[in-house]
Amino acid sequence: MTVRTHGTSPSRPAGGQRPRAPRHGGRRGRGDRPWTDPRDLWSESLAGVLARPVRSVLTTLGTVLGIGTLVITIGVASTAANQIVGRFDALTATSVSVVAPTPPPGSLDPPLVRWTDVEAVRRLAGVESAAALSDSQNTSNVQVKANDVVAPGTVNGQTLAVVAADPALPTAVRGTVTTGRFFDTGDIGRHERVAVLGYQAARLLGIADVRDAPAVFFNGQSFTVVGILGGFRREQRLSASVILPPTTAADRMGLKQVTRVLVNTSLGAAAQVARQAPIALAPGHEERLTVLAPPDLSRARKGVEGDVNGLFLVLGLVSLVVGTIGIANVTLVTVMERVGEIGLRRALGASRRQVAAQFLAESTTIGLLGGVVGATLGVVVVVSVAGVKQWTPVLDLRLALGAPVTGALVGLLAGLYPSLRAARMEPVDALRAPS
Amino acid sequence: MRRKQPTPPPAGPGPAPDPDTVIRLSSLNRVFASDPPVHALRDVDLTVRRGEHLSIIGPSGSGKSTLLNTLGLLDRPTSGSYWLDGVLTNTLGDLERTALRGSRIGFVFQSFHLLPYRTVDENVMLAEVYRAPRPGRERATRAERARQALARVGLGHRFGFLPGRLSGGERQRVAIARALMGDPALLLCDEPTGNLDSENTESVLALFDRLRSQGMTLLVITHDDAVSACASRRVRIHDGRLSQECA
Repeated sequence: MTVRTHGTSPSRPAGGQRPRAPRHGGRRGRGDRPWTDPRDLWSESLAGVLARPVRSVLTTLGTVLGIGTLVITIGVASTAANQIVGRFDALTATSVSVVAPTPPPGSLDPPLVRWTDVEAVRRLAGVESAAALSDSQNTSNVQVKANDVVAPGTVNGQTLAVVAADPALPTAVRGTVTTGRFFDTGDIGRHERVAVLGYQAARLLGIADVRDAPAVFFNGQSFTVVGILGGFRREQRLSASVILPPTTAADRMGLKQVTRVLVNTSLGAAAQVARQAPIALAPGHEERLTVLAPPDLSRARKGVEGDVNGLFLVLGLVSLVVGTIGIANVTLVTVMERVGEIGLRRALGASRRQVAAQFLAESTTIGLLGGVVGATLGVVVVVSVAGVKQWTPVLDLRLALGAPVTGALVGLLAGLYPSLRAARMEPVDALRAPS
Repeated sequence: MRRKQPTPPPAGPGPAPDPDTVIRLSSLNRVFASDPPVHALRDVDLTVRRGEHLSIIGPSGSGKSTLLNTLGLLDRPTSGSYWLDGVLTNTLGDLERTALRGSRIGFVFQSFHLLPYRTVDENVMLAEVYRAPRPGRERATRAERARQALARVGLGHRFGFLPGRLSGGERQRVAIARALMGDPALLLCDEPTGNLDSENTESVLALFDRLRSQGMTLLVITHDDAVSACASRRVRIHDGRLSQECA
């Protein structure tokens, strides 16, 4: 272009000295091109933003709300998910149950799982304790009385479940025998008519002490209570049941079939044990057993996050769109108000691009401001919520850093049209406007 | 601000003016395409020498504004040639005209065009924002040079003030300081006293005289005979035609 300038002066002698060439160090230099120091662009746009502080603050509100909602939504969701997953504590994560199907009545098949098969499960790597349990529909609602004397007009006794279990049950349910003792292999071998009560069953029956060898009566028979089992941490329903030795239960209550095996594993072994236990219990028939294993933790966390996020993410995005429109609107108004200033800048040598750059920088600054404030508020809210709930706040660093960047992008996007309008203005027209 | 340079031999007759010619218009026409077409400038020939104080007077509608816009590189002539400070501007692109405008012309407007939210010195410094730093005119020394420009127009004591706290005459002098800051070849003034009372007009005209004595080239467009009377040369514009008046 400079060449063209020279070329249009045909009368200039070739190689002739440019009369005023040294003045600005030559006209070819960048002095002849519109040029701005990035620091100037920054300070000019910052001054533009700060010139109308109230308006700028109000303009950021949409972005603040949008970014804030997004940060709060994602932050609270990840915090809550972490918390919920935290509740899947060691107990849940190590509990495996194997359920055996109940054979149809009158079936002559040998039982799928025998009481002695539990021993095979106990030998599996990662198994800490295991106990077999037997219950049935028939024995889940049994009228149990603590006194055999029938007083007319009174209903004494409670409806309780009667189950059979092997002596490992207290360990398997992580309970403790609060009074007396649990039946042992001797009791089982001798088919003793002894029973252990769950602590709630004991309370319902009014039995607090076993030193006097109290008896319970059901199914027309009497059983001596040898202990009370409390402190269940799994299989809570057993706390309201009468627990009999397997042999006794088979003889007198028809509970012959092992219906459930409770397995406790070491941490992290649950999945593996869940695969192996059915094979150990019923080799060749493992597919007929149902395994209840703890859910995969990482999958659970994602599931929770997904549940919480959906609606609020949409809400945050909507606010962000509204914020973008708000910035665009206000920047457009600002451009229209500063027509005189645009004309002046053009007169001072600003190119269209530089005028556009200034308004883009201003809207980006406003967006960035909104993003920073929104992200800050969001983080504060997430931490506060976590503090009130005594949770551990979980915040993705990418979220905290990405939110202001998102705000700046929103501002940039919002400034596109207004800055285009500013750049398109003819300096002649712009200078006519009042400054 | 006049540069002492060995004057090269005159370019002689022909389109290229000699280095002491700041402005040369020859057969300049500007026609606005409307129905019927408006012939705002007709065959305008004008030469402004370095250090001259020229006033262009004319009533409204005489083509004054069009001439000013053309001289200020804000508008393009329909035909004819315009040399500004040794550069033929007709063929320049938008970017080059913008750069030339920023580097050679100091504008002084009737309505001052000061940014109300910036201090006086920031307003003055604005003149350099769109120009590449040159030796002796680095960004670091900009504030100091703005202070000097303000001192030059007699406003050294107003450093850091907002324009709203200044009188009209002071504001116009700030605008002149801003125009001087860019170290222009030409001060192009559009009704510079149009918004001023007589006392402030006096102060601005006195400043023009002082600048002229320092060698600055001034081109003042006005409809006020009192303002134009201060000029060393007067040109009248009427119906788009220029006519010389005796100084």
